Amino acid sequence: MSDFEPKVVCFSCKFSWGYLADEDALASQIKNWVPIICSGKVDAKHVVEAFKHGADGVLILGCPEGDCHYQDGNLEARKRIYLLQKTLQSYGIEPARVSIQLSRDPEGTTIPDYIRKMSESIKKLGPVRRTASPVK
Amino acid sequence: MAAKPKVAIAWLGSCGGCDEAVVDLNEVVLTVADATDIIFWPVAMDFKYHHIESMGDGEIALSIINGHVRNSEHEEVARLFRKKSQLVLAFGACACFGGTPGMANFRSKEDIFNWVYRDAPTVVNPKGNYPQPKSQVNGKELTLPEFYERVYALNQIIDVDYYLPGCPPPPDLIANAVTAVLEGKLPPRGSTLAPHKALCDSCKRNATKPTRLAIKDIKRIHEVEASPDTCFLAQGILCMGIATRDGCGQSCININMPCRGCFGPVEGVEDAGAKFISALAAILDVETEEEMKQVVDQLVDLAGYTYRFSLPVSMLKDIRNTR
Repeated sequence: MSDFEPKVVCFSCKFSWGYLADEDALASQIKNWVPIICSGKVDAKHVVEAFKHGADGVLILGCPEGDCHYQDGNLEARKRIYLLQKTLQSYGIEPARVSIQLSRDPEGTTIPDYIRKMSESIKKLGPVRRTASPVK
Repeated sequence: MAAKPKVAIAWLGSCGGCDEAVVDLNEVVLTVADATDIIFWPVAMDFKYHHIESMGDGEIALSIINGHVRNSEHEEVARLFRKKSQLVLAFGACACFGGTPGMANFRSKEDIFNWVYRDAPTVVNPKGNYPQPKSQVNGKELTLPEFYERVYALNQIIDVDYYLPGCPPPPDLIANAVTAVLEGKLPPRGSTLAPHKALCDSCKRNATKPTRLAIKDIKRIHEVEASPDTCFLAQGILCMGIATRDGCGQSCININMPCRGCFGPVEGVEDAGAKFISALAAILDVETEEEMKQVVDQLVDLAGYTYRFSLPVSMLKDIRNTR
């Protein structure tokens, strides 16, 4: 388990995260980074799809409360993620594997830190348990 | 006289409700029986599997298969009918998506066996016997179908030409489907023989739905006396109609029960549960994080609610709670 490196997918809203940074330079430091316009755009389906394709955790970075460019997209995302955490638990996907952070960092320098922090806690959980392929 | 097209109605892991739905065609079933040669229907007639085995490949015009696949017998029967049929119709929620038995996929085979044969309070099993695919009794070998690790929808085992969901499918859609086959007026292969839109689209209660739904409190149907003609969601009762395919004839809504999702997701949606969760989040009228937790924490078994009929085909089908 010690050599397990969790795959974390990060969706971050461009209105608060890394808009002053050179996106390409930042992207070279962050694996599986999906800058988006509004965290409210992240559908439950996108998170589920990330797990389907092998993610061990999903991190969503949205704007601070009250600062959404579209009024309440970040709060919508927070509700969605909380409902999703409840649902994914039944699959054996611990709530800690899906996280949402409502804050701001125009330089984007803390994005890798957030991902590192999340990876650390997921390391303790181990990889998402998957079963063998169907009989077909 | 030209030979009539041969039709088979087979069941796999099924409760019999789908067969009952065929009987519910009433006099239409006589028309079907006139126009076709029903060569297999275990619920109603006495035919044997070896009759089917002795037929030529593709000799059956249409096999209507209901039920999910959970063991090796189901798989064998499904493969047999696929081989002998020109068309296979996955009939009912179990064949289309795994159905309610598919919720067993939240648990492993081991968990299920331990509960059913060891831990359930009513079990007396001092020798710790578990069913085995092969066992020796008095020098003879007895066999049982092998219980698989999980529940499969029909198209995870064989190729399926058409889908007709529902628990069970309603008589009008069954009649349409059979007529379409007999008249050769079928949509492209892989189609679901039901409307494409969501149930809300045809729901009579839709007129009472406010422009912007906002639920402050979620109630379960048995906790309240629901109004018989107001939108369930407007009353704070979870109704899957917003994320479920139309076509059922609203048999649940008509008896004042919210939609449970047996018609599966609307056209083009892969994961019914995730779609419902997104929709539910949008209509929850909560401001603060504490308020949100308070409302959501009341929900009992959200995953079971949202994936009630479609867990085996959900995007996370390969991910399993193994504890």
